[in-house]
Amino acid sequence: MADKLFVIGIGGTGMRCLESFVHLCAIGMFDNQEINVLTLDTDATNGNLERVRKLMALYSDIKSGTTKDGGTPNNNTFFSAKLNLYGFNTDYNSTSRSTYRNISRLTEGESSKQNKLLSDLFLDTNSVQEFNLAHGYRAQTHLGSHLMYHGIIEAARNLSAGGDVSSAERDLDEFIQKISKAGEEARVFIFGSVFGGTGASSIPVIPTAHSDAMKVRSQGKSPLDDTKVKFGSTLLTEYFSFKKPDQAEMSTKADSVIADSSFFPLNSQAALQFYQGDPTVQNVYKRLYHVGWPLESKSMDKNSSNKTITGGATQKNPCHFVELVCACAAFDFFNADDLKAEGKAEYLYRTGEFENGAFNFKASDLVGNQKNIDERLIDKLGAFLSLAHITLTKKEAGFGNKGFAGLRNQLEQNNIDSYSTVTDKELDQLDEYMRLFGYYFDSSNNFQSGWIYQIRESLQPGNFIFANAAFSKSVKELKGLDVGKLYEDENYHWEKGGVFGDTYQTFIKSLTKLSLDDSAHLVNHTKEKFIAHLHDGIMASQSNR
Amino acid sequence: MNNYILLPVVGVGMLLIAALISNMIKFEAGANPKDPKKRKGIFWLLFLLNPGVTYAVGILTSPASGIAKTKHMESLPIGLVIGVVVYLLVGFVISKVMKTSKLGHWF
Repeated sequence: MADKLFVIGIGGTGMRCLESFVHLCAIGMFDNQEINVLTLDTDATNGNLERVRKLMALYSDIKSGTTKDGGTPNNNTFFSAKLNLYGFNTDYNSTSRSTYRNISRLTEGESSKQNKLLSDLFLDTNSVQEFNLAHGYRAQTHLGSHLMYHGIIEAARNLSAGGDVSSAERDLDEFIQKISKAGEEARVFIFGSVFGGTGASSIPVIPTAHSDAMKVRSQGKSPLDDTKVKFGSTLLTEYFSFKKPDQAEMSTKADSVIADSSFFPLNSQAALQFYQGDPTVQNVYKRLYHVGWPLESKSMDKNSSNKTITGGATQKNPCHFVELVCACAAFDFFNADDLKAEGKAEYLYRTGEFENGAFNFKASDLVGNQKNIDERLIDKLGAFLSLAHITLTKKEAGFGNKGFAGLRNQLEQNNIDSYSTVTDKELDQLDEYMRLFGYYFDSSNNFQSGWIYQIRESLQPGNFIFANAAFSKSVKELKGLDVGKLYEDENYHWEKGGVFGDTYQTFIKSLTKLSLDDSAHLVNHTKEKFIAHLHDGIMASQSNR
Repeated sequence: MNNYILLPVVGVGMLLIAALISNMIKFEAGANPKDPKKRKGIFWLLFLLNPGVTYAVGILTSPASGIAKTKHMESLPIGLVIGVVVYLLVGFVISKVMKTSKLGHWF
């Protein structure tokens, strides 16, 4: 029986890795899978969290039929995996929970003196114990691990006690119960950095926290053995930087600690030493993937801001290639046939070609080449990018028009009217997803990069699978773009349609010729069939090469 | 050649020209492509031109004089009608049989 799949995204970096993972699901890399996804953060208003939750909600709406159930797993099509969404964030919003000092009630109870002495020993009295936790753990992982564990156990206790239970606590409970039920058949992959705050704090404690939370929920008889569940994670070292905080910014107690990205390399080094040597981590995790970026870290500062962004809605950093690498690590973990059920963690890494100061990545650098899986990534990612340009560029959804409605109309004009019942609202959601994946021009006519454009920008002057022309931001160049010639390697280009035609002609011809095999795609409702039809149209065009 | 054979052949020829031009018209990009209307327009334009062209072919292939010319001219209107009907009928059948192709835009 196939393992049950679980993904946990923690902190800002974890959310962006999750974003890449969702896009891998959208391109069809996780055919016929049902994946439970938990977002775990301290900062409920974080911009990256909001962005990925919006993306996942959109994905789920696209998959859903008449009811908002997130649809069903499909085979060999876009949006083929079903995602079940869960979200939990530790609550540091009220004054009584805003700092370590407040939340731990150090001055209360019989052991207050010892508690204070112990806290003062590990946590700096005037800064670490006093800063505002609402924006995360600010690279204070010794505090963060303690508080994240506490947050999860507190939620379990609250659930067991009944009473005022939040929806986030119910989400966490359902997620952990599902892992517990799957037991040895559970594969849990965790996204987060090892150099920052929330992710770095949480990765070491999550398996144990989940196990202990189940112990609380089952009143001491924990059915969740964290050494039996297959946990995997990335050990993602520093790849971005931001403005160094000045003394003025750190003058208040709430901001007495602000993460300083100049320490990220040091944090990474210390974290890697920990992950290499810690016996708990080695026993609980089955695989740990080293992911790093050896070039100069990219600055995330926005030009307009003079303040160091500690979190909140404004922390909406662009995506980076290493996050796609992390998503591919999850793909590897979920598809590994040789995953050991017992024993110590395996540490894995891959490398890419680096020449003339730039990376030139191949698909096999990300997913390996067993069973031609690299070719599958090339085909699927290329197919989805082609669909993005067909809808955004050719059908002008990137310029505010209706791309998928245009494609449906095109099919109707060719007397294929099976998809007439797909509503404009549903087609608008597909357009919106494509804008988040590709690009769009905003109301002021400014170009806004979507996920794949951001990934590409982070890699420059390096290269990955596609030609530069596929990422043009010029209206003139976009209008002349050939949607079947996006690859760097011309062997992957589609055959053009006729003597004077371009590959868009090939696509429309393929689209109108084919008849959809519903059972092969495991599709149920009309929208899924429409998406599968578009998928097959592109795949048929790809096969003409 | 007998007008009853020649003129329907001319109709079929016109239809082939309509098919060729229709296939040469590219699928347009944009949210509301106009290419299906263009193909339909070509079909009906050639339908309108069909009697004139057929008539001209009939005149050009007419014998110089005598009974043969009289017979030829007598059969010309009927052949012309057959040619036009053949264009319309075969065009309709092709359009319906190949309804998801570019020729499907004719009807």
